Amino acid sequence: MVDPNQFLRLQLGKVSYLLSSIAGFTIEQRESLITNKSAGNAVAWRDVRGKRWPAFCLDSDLRVVHHQNWHRAVFLEAIPHAVGIAVDEVQLLSRTETVISPFTPIGLAPTRQGHLFSGAWVTGNRVVLVFEPKAFVAYLQSLEDAA
Amino acid sequence: MKARAGVRLHSLEVPLAGNTLLVPSAAVAEVINPIPFSPVPFSQPWLMGVIGWRTLAIPVISLEVLLGVAPPAQTANGKILVFYPMSGRHDWEFYGLLSIAEPRPQALDGSQPVAAESELPDSPYIAAGLKIANRLMLIPDFEELKKIFYP
Repeated sequence: MVDPNQFLRLQLGKVSYLLSSIAGFTIEQRESLITNKSAGNAVAWRDVRGKRWPAFCLDSDLRVVHHQNWHRAVFLEAIPHAVGIAVDEVQLLSRTETVISPFTPIGLAPTRQGHLFSGAWVTGNRVVLVFEPKAFVAYLQSLEDAA
Repeated sequence: MKARAGVRLHSLEVPLAGNTLLVPSAAVAEVINPIPFSPVPFSQPWLMGVIGWRTLAIPVISLEVLLGVAPPAQTANGKILVFYPMSGRHDWEFYGLLSIAEPRPQALDGSQPVAAESELPDSPYIAAGLKIANRLMLIPDFEELKKIFYP
C-alpha cells in the first residue's frame, strides 16, 4: 500500500520534481507500452481494453520532447483516463527523507487548475519543486488535446 | 530654539540595472549573496526562479523586467534582497528581489525632494521617486506588485 506522505522523484533531464503519492499513479515499464512512431505529442501509449492512454516525454522545462532515453512511464489517475509522463529515472522516497515546505509560484497560473507546483523540498540552497497533482494532470491533458 | 529633526525613515538604496530603488529597511528580512536559481517552468518572465532560503523556497523577481529592461546577469557583486511577505499573505510567502550590487542604507527625514512625474519610468510598479544627492531613486508600488504576484 502506498503511504500518502510518500513522494515519487521524477527525473526530467537535469531537473528533479516530486509527485505526492496522493496523486494516485502506476509505474509502467517501457516494454509494456506501445511506442508512438508517428507525429503527435505522445511518445507512447498504454493499451487498456482497447483504449489508449498517452504518455508524454517532457524536458526539464516541462516542454514536450521526443527522445528515446526513457525507461518508465508514470501514469497519473485522471478522468476520463490516466495520463502518463515518460521519465529518465523514477524513485520512491520515504516520508522520512522529505520535508516539504509550502510553495506556490507567484504570477499568473499556467493551467485552468492553477499553478503546477504546491510545495518544495528545500535542502540548503537546493530546491526540488512538488507538483500540484490536479494542475499537472490538467497540463498533461492539454498536451493530449494539442496533439 | 533648535529646529526639530523630522522623523527618520530607514531605507535601503538598491542598485538595479539602469535604475536605483528605494525600499523601507523594515520590509527586508535579509540581504544574501547570489545563489543559483532553480527554474520554475511556465512562470512569468520577471520571475527569475526560486532559491532555498532557511527552510523555504523563495521566488526571486527582476524588477528590471517589470520596468521593460533586460534582466541583469547574475554576478558575484549582485545580491538578493529577501522581503517579508506582503500584507494579508501567508507567513511563508517571502520573496526575493535581484540587485546588481550591495544595497546601501539611506536615512530619510522628509527633506529629500520628490521627483517630478516626468522623471519617473512609465510603469505602474513605481509609486514615486525621490532625489537624493541629485540621484533619482524609485519607490516601488507594493500594492501594484501584489496584484501581479497574486492575481
